Parts: sequence; C-alpha cells; structure tokens
Amino acid sequence: MTAPEVPVVDQASDDGWQRLHPLSPLLRGGVVLLAVLGYFVSQLVDRVLSSFDPGEDPTDDLPGGADGGVGLAVVDHPFIALAVLVVVVAAIAGAFHVSWRFTRFRVTGAQVELRNGVLFRQHRQVPLERIQAVETTRPILARLVGLSQVVVQSAGGSDSHLTLAFLAEPRAEALRAELLDLASRTDEGPGPAAADADVPDGAAPAQVPAGARDRTDEGTPVVAVPNGRLVASTLLHGPTVVAAVLLVLLVVAGGVSSVLFDVGPGVLAAVPALLPAAFAFGVGRVRELLLHGNFRMTRTSNALRMRHGLTELRASVVPLHRVQAVEAVQPVLWRPFGWWRMRVNVAGTGQSEGQEVQAALLPVGTIADVDAVLAPLGADPHDPLVRAALHGTGRDGGWTGPPPAARLFDPWSWERNGYALGDEVLHVRTGRFSRRMVLVPYARVQSLTLSQGPWERRRGLAEARVVSTPGPVSAAVRHLSVADAEAFLDVVGEAARRARRSVPGPAPDAAATARGDSPGNGPPLAPTTSTLVDWPSPHDPRT
Amino acid sequence: MSDPSPHPVETGPGAGVTLHGGDLAWRPVSRSLVTARLLVLGIVLAVPLVVGVVLALVLTPWLWAVPAAVVLVGAWGAWLVTRQVSAISWVELDEEIVIRKGRLFRTLVSVPYGRLQYVDIQSGPLARALGIASCEIHTASPESGGSLPGLPVDDAEALRTRLSARGEAQRAGL
Repeated sequence: MTAPEVPVVDQASDDGWQRLHPLSPLLRGGVVLLAVLGYFVSQLVDRVLSSFDPGEDPTDDLPGGADGGVGLAVVDHPFIALAVLVVVVAAIAGAFHVSWRFTRFRVTGAQVELRNGVLFRQHRQVPLERIQAVETTRPILARLVGLSQVVVQSAGGSDSHLTLAFLAEPRAEALRAELLDLASRTDEGPGPAAADADVPDGAAPAQVPAGARDRTDEGTPVVAVPNGRLVASTLLHGPTVVAAVLLVLLVVAGGVSSVLFDVGPGVLAAVPALLPAAFAFGVGRVRELLLHGNFRMTRTSNALRMRHGLTELRASVVPLHRVQAVEAVQPVLWRPFGWWRMRVNVAGTGQSEGQEVQAALLPVGTIADVDAVLAPLGADPHDPLVRAALHGTGRDGGWTGPPPAARLFDPWSWERNGYALGDEVLHVRTGRFSRRMVLVPYARVQSLTLSQGPWERRRGLAEARVVSTPGPVSAAVRHLSVADAEAFLDVVGEAARRARRSVPGPAPDAAATARGDSPGNGPPLAPTTSTLVDWPSPHDPRT
Repeated sequence: MSDPSPHPVETGPGAGVTLHGGDLAWRPVSRSLVTARLLVLGIVLAVPLVVGVVLALVLTPWLWAVPAAVVLVGAWGAWLVTRQVSAISWVELDEEIVIRKGRLFRTLVSVPYGRLQYVDIQSGPLARALGIASCEIHTASPESGGSLPGLPVDDAEALRTRLSARGEAQRAGL
C-alpha cells in the first residue's frame, strides 16, 4: 500500500510507557481538593504571619506582622510555623509528584494499559478490539489550564473504563485519534493498512501519520445545530411548558382572586412553594443546553463524531458498526417546527455516566438533518418505509399494527403504531401526536419477547418487542393482535436468523471487501451494503 | 456451519411458536419446583399462623379470624404456585430457545443461541435437596435473557452444555 509508516518516537520512557501531565493529580482532585488545600495553606500562612505578632489571635484575618517581631520566644515560633508550612507544601507536592510518577500509560499494538497507585497498585488493560468509544472531555478546571482527559470506554460498563486524566489538549486529541484508528483497524482485521502500521509489542505506540490523523479528526461535516434552535427546542419541553403555564395561571388567578374576593395574598403565598419545582425544571433545561450547545457532528469512514458543550467541551464518537438501534423522536411541541431528536443504542455503553453523551445522537434537527444522520448509519432516508415511519399512518405500504380492538388502549395512536419489515431493518413507529420511529437492523436483534397482561388478553392483544443492548432506544409494538404478535416473532425471528448467518464472520477480508473499505473513501452508501448490518456481532468474541 | 452438539437438537418448525398452546413439544419444568415454592410459602405463613392461633387462644375467640385469613391466603398462594409452575414451559428450536411463563401476565422470550453470552446454573440448599436447579440465560442485554427455574439438576447441566455448544457453533457463523 502506502509507504511504511514510521512510528514517531514518543516523548517518554522505555517500553512506550508515557506519563500524564504533571498537574494531573492536582486537577483530578477537582475543585474540592483545591478549595481544601487553599484553605489549609491560607490557614498556615495566617498562622505564620500572625505568629509574628504575639498580641493577636491567630484566627484573626489581618496579618499584623507590621508591629510584631519583638521578644525572643517569638523568633522561634514563626520559624517553626514557617517550617511547618514549607514541610506541608513540600509533602503535598511530593505526594502529587509520586502519584504522577507512578501513573503511566502506554498504547501497544494490542492494548491500552494504565498503571497507577503507589501502595495499592492497579494495572488496567483494555484490548484495542474491546474499545467501544474514545471520548475526550474537558472539565472546566482542566480547561483553564488547557488540559483534557481521555476516556477509553470498553464493554462492561463504566467500571471498566480507562481514564487518562489529564493530558495537554493536542496530545489528548492525537491520542484519541490514534486509539480510534487502532481500534477500528483491529475491528477490520489485519488488513494491509494495519500490517503496515503494526508494531511489535512493547515498542513505541504506532502514531498515525499526520494525514490519516487529520482524516480521523475532522471528517466530513454532517450536521451543525444552531444554538438558537437549541435554545428554542430546549424551552419547548413538554413538562417545562406545562409547569410554566401552570405557574403563570396560578399567579394570575391568585392575584385576581386576592383583588376581587379580598382573600388576601394567601394564594400568592403558595407560589414560592412551587419555586423548587420550577428551579428543578430550569436546572434540567440549562444542563441540557450546556451539554448540547455548539453541537457539531462530523463523519469519518467508520464513526460519527460529535463535539458539543458550552462549558465543558465534549468530543464523543459513535462507531458506526456498534450502533444497535436508532430512534428519532418528535415531541408534539416540536411539530410546528419539524424538529426531531435522535438517539442510538451503542453496544458496550450501557447505563454508565457517559450515557447522556452517548444518548443524544442529535439533540435537535430538521428532517434534512435526520436524513443526513441516517445515511451514514446505513439506513436509506429515501426509503418509503422510513418516510412512513416518520410521518405516516394507516396500514398501507407493508405496515402491521394494532387491530381496532386496541382502540380502548390507544384511542389516538392505534392507527399509526405498528411495524414494517425492510430488507435488512425492522421499522417501528409509535405516537400520533409525539412521533417516534425506531430502526433495528435484523442483525442486531438480541432476542424477541411477547407479553400479554390480563386486559390485553380479554381483547386478544399482545405486545411484541425486540430486545436491543442497553440504551435509550427500545423497540416495542404494543397491542398487536395475538396472531400478528406471533407472526412478528416468526418473521422477525426468521429475518434475524438470516441476518446472523449472512454476516461474514471469520473472514475479515471478506468483510472488508463487502464494505468496499479502503482508507480514503468511506463505506458506500448503497442500501445493499448498509453499515448497520454488515458488521459482525459486537459481542462476538473475535471482535 | 454444522452443529457439533452431541445431543440432537429437538427441532420444531420455524413457525408455530405461540403465546399459548401450540403444536411444539413444549417441555414443562420439574414438579419439584411446586414443592419447593410451597415449602417456602408454608414457612413464610407459619409464623403469622402460629401467632394468630396463640393470640386467639389467649385473648378472644374473635382472633380466630387471623389464622383463618392466613389459611385462606395460603390456599390461594398454593393454587397460584401450582398454576404458575405449570405455566412455565420451554422448547429448543433449531436456532432459538423459547421460554414461556405466566398465566395472568404471559410472557414469551425467544433467545437465539448465537446471542448467548453465558449460562448460569444456580441452586440453593432447598433446591438442591429437591434435586432441582435454575438455569439462567444471559445475552448482551440484561433484560433479554430468560431464566428456567426448577429443572432437574442433570437436565440443567445438559441444557447448559447444549446451549454453550450451539452458542459457540452459531456464533462462529456470525
């Protein structure tokens, strides 16, 4: 292929072990540690200064050192205090230094390793092929000094994450790009590109050449969310709007009644009681804004990259082949604007702390944005089934849904709810007013369930459900007729069986060829080689 | 991909999995599970029963209502346990294991062998004394696995062996 990639020599010690930024231990403690340290140090300084002045109480804030310094005993005293101060500061600095010295990480051809701890040592290894996502985040404290942390997420929940905190920002970005690149290569199997870059174990980490890194870093823009739209959509949040309207009504009613009926301000006095609730809503909305502000999504050959956050910049990555299910939701208040929110289930990122970030694939977007995001996910946005799943209703065009007997349970949405079978993807739609579409590739079906409660039983109904990996998206069709539910089990089960068989397993070359994968161009967009379905199972031991 | 399992797969037609009834060879769980659950129920209810009887003897005959209520609850519980246990059935198909449960709230889960992560066999002291074990099936999704309580220990072990073998075989083809 290309010229052999010469591994750039890393900046640190033997065997490829590297260290984090020296300020890391301090920053890892966070604001609390800084505050506590600051308090103690200032106390000590106070002590030292005030001990020059025997007349003053040590707790007095003002250092009265100006007229102190008389007497013999006092000479001893300040020096001791000063010495204590120096020793304490040195001890803290020393502890930080030792902690820093003992925290090392390295990236080999097969895994990422992190060693830390002085007394209780820990050595954590994450095989490259187990990497589910790599994220760089910048807590506000670290951001002030230009540092980032790299979180390597692996299957097995947040406990198994490997956090490299902190690194200088360019280094963090480079490391993230490198890890992603290595991880995606192991995913693809030992292709020629990987063979070129292969380094023997224990050697310096394979650095991605600048060009490749740029490609991984930037990608092609997919969607950018204007902050104005984000603010508007965040405020158009059902419960918040209802709460705000109630609050206003209450205030108005209270005011009016106190004027008309002379009941006094008693009603208005109830308003402050509602403030905590209003505050809670406000906090939730603001957090949403902070999280999703400046949202930009780009696309690389094998992943969608999101950068967002107003205070804390986050860069997260959704590897396309680990997407298990996609959902597009349109709350009723967004309908006049035609906005949608999209979420995905990604294998390996369960209900961890990273869930929020993983959850919102697209915080708010127009239908064009939805199409733009669906395309790299392998779904054809112009498929009539997808259009019908987003907007349609009724039973035409291959849709199966609840029978009229379900009207009792779904008086409005029974005509819209339902499922349709695509070539490779199951389409589920629900909701008449707030609309929802779920896409699950057959190859991603974990298991199928049917369930039936006593009331459904009396009407001859049952719920059919496709079980996906943990995540925000769930695909259930409620209140189908029993026969339809059993048919669902049958046809979706059969499609899943076919999909499991057809996914090329032990031959990575075949997989690569099928995707038409070469480093320069992304996977083809043709619906026949959909990215969602061509990949092996995420829990296949091979991957 | 051939099936290396030493045991023949009990096949059924691809179609025909039903929420209720059906032509497939649905297999029940061991009746010992009824015994086990009844024993637990009895132990739980024994305390209020004894207390109620003692109080009724000591204080006032009106308190006989308490043991009577306990007996009624016990009878209802026993009826429920019997029905619940008899509602658990399972069948192994070519590529899935299907487990049905419940009467009032019916559920059915169909787990493809290729999606199995691991299979747990568990049995507490009571279950061991009765020679039964529960077989828990785990997939990548915590909610999707099925559990089969009350299989005879040998059956449970054999089932696990079969499931693991088929899981391996069919996963390899993924």
